[in-house]
Amino acid sequence: MTVALKINGAAKAVEAGLSDTLLTVLRDQCLLTAAKRGCNQGVCGACTVLVDGRPQRACLTLAANCEGATITTLEGLKRDPTMMRLQKTFASLGAVQCGFCTPGILISAHWLLARNPAPAIDEIRAGLSGNLCRCTGYRKIIDAVAAAGRTAAEAGA
Amino acid sequence: MRVEGSFVVSAPRERVFAEITNPALMASCIPGCEAIEVVDPKTYRARILIEVGPIKARFNLVVEVTAEEPPARVLSVTRGEEGTRASVISANSELRLEPTAEGATTVHYLSEVSVTGRLGKFGLGVMKKKAEALGAKFAETFRGKIEVAAVP
Amino acid sequence: MSVPGFHRPATVEEAAKLLACTEGARCLAGGATLVAMMNASLAEPKAIVSLAGIGELSGISVLAGGGLRIGAMTRHRETAEDARLTGTLAVLRDAARQIANPPVRNMGTIGGSIAFADPAADYPPALVAAGAEIEIASASGRRRVAAEAFFVDWYTTALGPGELVSAVLLPPPRPGAGLHKKLARVSGDFAIVSVALSLARQPSGVAARIAIGGCGPKPLHIAEVDAMLTARLGDADTARSAGERLAAASDPVDDVRASADYRRLVIPRLVAAAVAEARTALEAK
Repeated sequence: MTVALKINGAAKAVEAGLSDTLLTVLRDQCLLTAAKRGCNQGVCGACTVLVDGRPQRACLTLAANCEGATITTLEGLKRDPTMMRLQKTFASLGAVQCGFCTPGILISAHWLLARNPAPAIDEIRAGLSGNLCRCTGYRKIIDAVAAAGRTAAEAGA
Repeated sequence: MRVEGSFVVSAPRERVFAEITNPALMASCIPGCEAIEVVDPKTYRARILIEVGPIKARFNLVVEVTAEEPPARVLSVTRGEEGTRASVISANSELRLEPTAEGATTVHYLSEVSVTGRLGKFGLGVMKKKAEALGAKFAETFRGKIEVAAVP
Repeated sequence: MSVPGFHRPATVEEAAKLLACTEGARCLAGGATLVAMMNASLAEPKAIVSLAGIGELSGISVLAGGGLRIGAMTRHRETAEDARLTGTLAVLRDAARQIANPPVRNMGTIGGSIAFADPAADYPPALVAAGAEIEIASASGRRRVAAEAFFVDWYTTALGPGELVSAVLLPPPRPGAGLHKKLARVSGDFAIVSVALSLARQPSGVAARIAIGGCGPKPLHIAEVDAMLTARLGDADTARSAGERLAAASDPVDDVRASADYRRLVIPRLVAAAVAEARTALEAK
């Protein structure tokens, strides 16, 4: 019951049954715990990771179906310049309270900025519409994404 | 959720009452009924398979007749589960038979049903539609059996 | 690689054979519905036939004759971004754009969505308004069914055992406009009520096709209502009557999103708003 996965640039063989999701395998076997199990129904977004470069719900992805796919979690974007900028603005602008939603939001925000480097507020809202936050009321999250977009433009990135 | 309906059977009330309280006949009329067992004169066990789209649920039910007023009324209480208690169901039901002017019988059924567990999560809305569809199918099958048998 | 029960065939025919011959097998498209149901213990498939490896099923292509073929595994994101879904086909693109949210639109597929036939989903009424056909594959070949005939009952389609959706087929886009107007609790949620409207420019005026979602076991479409709107699209009374006709024919549920009564109240209002918006879009061209 071994599945060969590509996670954060490295090959990793995991044990998976028919119903094991990518989320379970990432957290329990790979110990990559940034992705969180919020609703396990694909609604909350806390489990969002990149599959072949695009945000997807790890809780709705069967591990067995991931052979050949390139999976990137938040841990794999530690040295990514856009991600580092986002983490800086999130921290400095108070966009993190309990932090449970944060990894999923950062993945969605990262993809938004990759496609739209200086997004308008309504574009940020649309881009993050798949991530729920119970703490912040979203205002500071949106400000932080906007600021990360702006600093990139200023740095001529 | 409240499931209710009525249908007319071309047969006198006494006969309809006798048949509608006959477990063997009921087993053959209830859509999805796989088995009925008489535990005692007031208690039945039933296994009913209900499918909505891709979801299949096999209900194990115990029906207790709490009041019988021939030929007019039956009250019963149903309790059960499906999927090894993945869902739990309970219902209070009333069956009323009224004679029509033409010597036929109107059967009224009314159930207050509560479903908790995994099927409750799925969305009671469509379950009620399904229950109504099953009620209509039951009526059609029951009528078919009673009315045919009445023809000498 | 071997996960017992997991299959990843390379062709549609292989997939159909596996479905027909493997007890308790279910197709896996995007996973947005099936895996969610598995997580909630509402589905416990003994075998899974993943369609991810079948090249034929992905992407949108133009057919000889100008019609479009949307492979069953095409993700909502792709459908929402395809500029060829314009004019009379714009309704479909508008529907795709409003499904869920960006990550789910990266996963969910048109084939998977219509095969589940959620009565409150966005594609079913949009496909009826766009005049689509559904291509169904089995081990013995392919067949086509009009979208309207594909959706049969609550969560029930025309798919038989061993059959899967292989593509959605659309007529060539013609000059016109269309929109999918959806009332939902939050953006991206399933519809409380949805109105899918497609307008085609004719020499004599405009031909309308309208379908209602979220208000019955399958999309609600009445040819006479299309005719009413086609005859007098600009008349507010006609739009209101059309909406009332549809509301009277609807069969909505009471559920957590809204009551049946509320849905019946909303239908005429949403129809009127959709007609006004679509007319404005048409005049702007």
